[in-house]
Amino acid sequence: MILKHTLLGLSLLGIATSSFAQNPLDRSKLPVDAPAPQIKIGKPESFTLANGLKVFVVENHKLPRVAVNLVLDREPLLEGDKAGVSGFAGQLLRMGTKTRTKEQLDEEVDFIGADLSTSATNVYGRSLTKNVGKLFELMSDVVLNPAFPQAELDKLKKQTKSSLASQKDNPNAIASKVANVVMFGKNHPYGEQQTEESVDKITIDDVKNYYTTYFRPNIGYMAVVGDITPAQAKALVEKSLGGWQRGDVPKPTYPAPAAIGKTKIALVDRPSSVQSVISVVYPVTLKPYSQETILASVMNDILGGSEARLFNNLREKHGYTYGAYSNLSGDRLVGRFRAGASVRNAVTDSSVAEIMNELKSISSSPVSAAELKQTKNAFGGNFIFTLEDPQTIANFAINTARYNLPEDFFANYLKYVDNITEADVSTAGKQFIRPENAVIVVVGKASEIADKLKKFGDIEYYDNKGNRVEAPKAAAAVPVGMTAQQVIDKYVAAIGGKDALLKIQDMTTQMSTEMQGNAVLMTRKAKAPNKSMMSATVMGMEMMKMASDGTSAARTVRGNTTKLEGKDADQVLVQGGLFPELRYADNKVTSTLEGTEKVDGKDAYRVKNSTANGLTWTDFYDTASGLKVQTMSTQKGPQGEVVQTVSYGDYKDVSGVKVPYSIKQPMGPMTMTLSVDKVEVNKGLKDSDFSVN
Amino acid sequence: MKRTLWLLAVGTCLYAQAPAQSKKAPAKASPMQAAVKSGAANAAKVPVAPAAATSGRIKFTEFDLPNGLHVILHQDNSTPLVAVTMMYHVGSKNEQTTRTGFAHFFEHLLFEGSDNIKRGEYMKIVKGNGGQLNANTSQDRTFYYEVMPSNKLELGLYLESERLLHARIDEKGVETQREVVKEEKRQRIDNQPYGSIFTEVLKHAYTKHPYQWAPIGSLEHLNAATIDEFRQFYKDFYVPNNAILSIAGDIDPAQAKALATKYFAEIPKGAKAIYRPSIKEPEQVKEVRDTIYDNITLPAVVQAYHIPAQGTPDSYAVEVLQTILAGGESSRMNKEIVDKQQKALQSAAFPVANEDSGLFLTYSIANQGVKPNDLEVAVNTEIDRVKKDLVTDAELTKVKNQLETNFVNQNARIFGVAENLANYKMYYGDANLINTEIDRYNKVTKEDVRRVANQYLKPENRVVLYYLPKAK
Repeated sequence: MILKHTLLGLSLLGIATSSFAQNPLDRSKLPVDAPAPQIKIGKPESFTLANGLKVFVVENHKLPRVAVNLVLDREPLLEGDKAGVSGFAGQLLRMGTKTRTKEQLDEEVDFIGADLSTSATNVYGRSLTKNVGKLFELMSDVVLNPAFPQAELDKLKKQTKSSLASQKDNPNAIASKVANVVMFGKNHPYGEQQTEESVDKITIDDVKNYYTTYFRPNIGYMAVVGDITPAQAKALVEKSLGGWQRGDVPKPTYPAPAAIGKTKIALVDRPSSVQSVISVVYPVTLKPYSQETILASVMNDILGGSEARLFNNLREKHGYTYGAYSNLSGDRLVGRFRAGASVRNAVTDSSVAEIMNELKSISSSPVSAAELKQTKNAFGGNFIFTLEDPQTIANFAINTARYNLPEDFFANYLKYVDNITEADVSTAGKQFIRPENAVIVVVGKASEIADKLKKFGDIEYYDNKGNRVEAPKAAAAVPVGMTAQQVIDKYVAAIGGKDALLKIQDMTTQMSTEMQGNAVLMTRKAKAPNKSMMSATVMGMEMMKMASDGTSAARTVRGNTTKLEGKDADQVLVQGGLFPELRYADNKVTSTLEGTEKVDGKDAYRVKNSTANGLTWTDFYDTASGLKVQTMSTQKGPQGEVVQTVSYGDYKDVSGVKVPYSIKQPMGPMTMTLSVDKVEVNKGLKDSDFSVN
Repeated sequence: MKRTLWLLAVGTCLYAQAPAQSKKAPAKASPMQAAVKSGAANAAKVPVAPAAATSGRIKFTEFDLPNGLHVILHQDNSTPLVAVTMMYHVGSKNEQTTRTGFAHFFEHLLFEGSDNIKRGEYMKIVKGNGGQLNANTSQDRTFYYEVMPSNKLELGLYLESERLLHARIDEKGVETQREVVKEEKRQRIDNQPYGSIFTEVLKHAYTKHPYQWAPIGSLEHLNAATIDEFRQFYKDFYVPNNAILSIAGDIDPAQAKALATKYFAEIPKGAKAIYRPSIKEPEQVKEVRDTIYDNITLPAVVQAYHIPAQGTPDSYAVEVLQTILAGGESSRMNKEIVDKQQKALQSAAFPVANEDSGLFLTYSIANQGVKPNDLEVAVNTEIDRVKKDLVTDAELTKVKNQLETNFVNQNARIFGVAENLANYKMYYGDANLINTEIDRYNKVTKEDVRRVANQYLKPENRVVLYYLPKAK
C-alpha cells in the first residue's frame, strides 16, 4: 500500500520537476483559481408516512452518526393577546414527557452522548449511529407525549419578562419592534408584539392547544441525515412516529401589508440617547429561494454587506458610525429590507442623508467589477462553509420540498452567483431598493434630532412598545432668576435637609440585578466626608471596583487596579461619595442651570457641573419634587467618548434621608436596572474599606 | 493544541456571562464543561462501529518530498472545501530557557507576509477569497491553517509555502507582534481571574523539563531577543523536514500531490538536526503545595498529578477516569461537589496530555463562604472513591459513549480531519490512529480505571495550589 503510493508520488514528482525546469515557479503573483467547484449534495430518498409526515433520507456514511430534523411547515401565526405562546410550547416540549421528567430526559440524552432540542416548529436530534434507536425513542416521546409542566412554564415566563424588560431600555430592540409595527401593522404576524401582558395571559392550556393544533405529522418534514440507509430510517420513523395522529391544521391568510406611500420618519424619543439608531425599512415582495433572491442578496451585499458601500461611506469616509449595513430577505408571506447604523446625535440627519444616497446609487451608479468579485467570493465561501454542517444538507432537502424548488436549485447555487453581471445588480437595485417608499425609523433624542429629520419626510412619533404617541412637548421654561444653586438647595431639602444629611456618617447600599440569568451584586459604601467604594460582583467574581480614600482614587477591572488621575479621579472624589452636592463648594465645582428638559415625561432642571480638572457632568432635578432623577456623564469607550446616563427613582426614607431604591445604569451595551436590597447607615465603616491599593 | 484550548477555555468560563450555548440551551452546560468535553475529544477516538464497519473510516494517502516534508492527503469530495494545514514540530519545549515564548511568537510573526506577500496582505488574501485562517501553538507543536473553497487549493499551498520558504522577519514585524502578544497575555492571562493557573501549575510541577513554562513565555525574553535570534529560530525549526503538510477536503489526490510538489519541493531541507530536548523530569517524591494570591473573590483549589505521556496505555485509562470525574453535567465531581454539596461553583478535571509527559489537573472554584480546605477535601473524597471502588458498568458505558461521540464530531469538519491526521503522524508516526486509536480506549476496564487512580492520583505525585484573593 505504502509502496504504491510512494511510486505514484515519485512519478508525479518527476513530471512536476521537469515542468519547473522549463518554467521556474513565478511566486510574484497569486495562483489563478481553478474553475468554481460543483456542489454535490446527497440526493435524498423520500417517502411519506400514512399520517402524512414527509421524510427525506440523506445517506452519508462519512461519520458514524445520524442527525434527525423535524420541521413543521405552518403559516406564520397571529397570536394576538397571547403573543409568544408558540415559542413557549416549543421550549416546553423538551422539559418533560409523561414518563420522563426533565432531569430524566437530560440524563438519557447524556447517556448516549446525543443532542436533542425543540422549538415551536422544530425538533432536532443527533447521535451516534449505534444509538439512533434510542434517539428516535426520545424524540418520539418528546413529540408525542409532552407533559408541559406548569413549573417550567412559570420559569419561562419569568425569564421572558425579564428579557422584555431589558428590551425596553435597549434602543436596538426598540428600533426593531417599531420597524416591525410600521412595516406590517400590529395585526400582522410579523408586526404583533410580545408584551409582559401577553406573557402573563398565556396558560398551560394555551400551550397545549398550540401543541394539539400544530404538532401534526401532515405538516411535517423530517430529514434523516447521515450513517443510515433509507430502509433503516423508514423502519425507525414508522415505529416511532407512525402512531402520530394527523389533524386539520389551520391555514390562516393575511392581507398584504399596506404599501408605504411617501417616505416618512418614525421617531421614538429616547431623551437619554446620545446615539441614534437609524433603520430604513420597508416590506418587500420577494419569495425565498429563487434565482431572483440570490441576485437580490448579491446586490444587497454590495450595498450593505461587510465592508461594502454603506460601511465605506458612513464609517470609512465620514466616521459617523462603527458599522453600517443592510439586509434584504425573502419570505413566503412578505419579505423585508432594512438599512441602518447607530450614529451620534449630531450626525443623525447627515447619516440618514448618506444612507439614502447609497440606496439611490445602487441602481444609478455602476457596480465595479472588483465589488462584484469580492461579493461573489464571499458568497461562495460562506455558502460552502455552511455545507459542512449536516443540518444544512437536511435544510436543503426540506426547503426544496417545501418551496417546490427545482431539484438542483442548491447544487446550482454557486453557478447562479457566478453568472450574475454588473448590469444584473443595477437592475435588482432598481427593483428592490426603494428609498422613496421607506420608513426611516429613528430611536434617539428627539429634542436634538427631530427638527433636522423633517427634510426627509413627515415625522410620526412612537413609544418604546411601538404605539403611536403625540410629539413630545417641550419642558416649561426656567423661571426667571432661578439659579443652579437654588436647584441644588431644593434637592438637598427634598432628600431631608442639610442637618439630616450631616448626621449620616456612613452608608452601605446593597443593590442587585440579573443579567442573562446571572445575579449581579453591587455594593456601594460611602463615609463622610468623601470616602467611597463601589464594586460589582458577578457569580462571586469581582468584575469592577472604584474606590476613593478621600485623597486619591483607583479603579479595578477584573483584578487590574489603575490609579486614577485628574478628571478620572474627580469622577470618584468629587462626583461620588456621600451626598456630593454638600461638597460642591469645597471641591470648587462650577454649576450652571442650563434649562429644563423632559426626563421620562416630566419636567426637570438641567444643571451642568464642572471641576477644575475638566470633569463635566449634568444632573437633572425634577422641577416639582426637587429630587435628582438623572445624571449624564462622559466616559471614554473603545470608540471614543460616549455619554452615559444613570437614572434614579423610587426614593425611600432611610434614617430621615431619602435614598433612591431604583437605579438604572449602563453596563457595557446594556442598561441594567438595579434594585436596592438594603441600606445601612452609621455602621462605623472602617477607613480600610476605602483603600485604593 | 490541548494547551491552547485549555487556556482559552479557562479564560472564557470565568468571564461574567456564559456564552450562548447552542443546541442544548435549556440545560445550559457551562463553558467549563464544554472545555472538558473538547479536551476529552482531543484524544478520544473513533468507535469500533460494529454495525457499519466502513463508516467513520478515514482514508488518506501520504508521501515525503525529497526535502523531508511529509504530506498527508485526505480526499472528501462531499463539500467543495479544502483545508490546507501545516504542522511544525516546534513548541515551547524547544525553546531555550532564556528565550521562552518564541514558538508562540512565531505563530504571530509568520502572518506578517513574505518576500512576495506584502505586510498585512496575508489575511486579506484569504478572506477576499472566501476563506478562513488561523493558527495555534502548544508546548509541542505549532499549527497553521487555511480553509477555503476547493478551487483555491493552489492559493492555500502558495500561501503556506511562502510562509515556509521566505517569511518576512524584520524589526517592524517583530515590534508589531510584540505589542499584539503583550495584549494577548494581558487579556488571556494577567487580566483573567485565575488566568495564571496553567502557568503556575507548570512552574510548580516541573523542575528540569522545558514544560515548566507555558507557550506564552516571557515578554522580557521576547523584548531582549535580537532580530538575528528570531531569524535563527526560523532557520532552525521552519524547515520542511520538521513539518507536515496535511490537506483534506475536495481534492483530486494526484493533482494535490502535483501542486504540493510544485510549491514545496524547491524549499531547501534544514541544514542541521532539529533540537529536541532530551531532558528527563525527575520523579516527584513529595507533594508540592503553594498559595497564589490573585485578583479574585472566590478561592480556587487546583491539583496537578504527573501522568505518563500521551499515547501510553495508561494515558487512555487516565482519560476515561477524567471523564468519569468531570465529563459533563452528570459527572461525579459536578453532581456531587457542585450540585449536591454546593461547595463549588465549578469543579472540573482536565488532562494535559503532552509528548514527553502529562498532567492530570483538577480545578474547583469555591462557592461563597466555602473554605478552600473543605473544597479540597471534597475533591479528594471523589478521588478516593475511584481509588477504592470500581466504577459502575453504566458509568463506563456512558463515558465511552461520550468520548466516542466527541471524537466522531471532531472529525465532522475536514479541518478537524486534517489536524488530527497531522497530530497522529507527528506524535505517534501513524496517521492511521485516526481510525484505530479508539481500540485503546475500548480496552480500558473498570479495573484499569481504579489501578491508574491508585498509581497516579497520590499526594506525593501532585502539586496543590490554593488560589486566594489578594489582601485588599
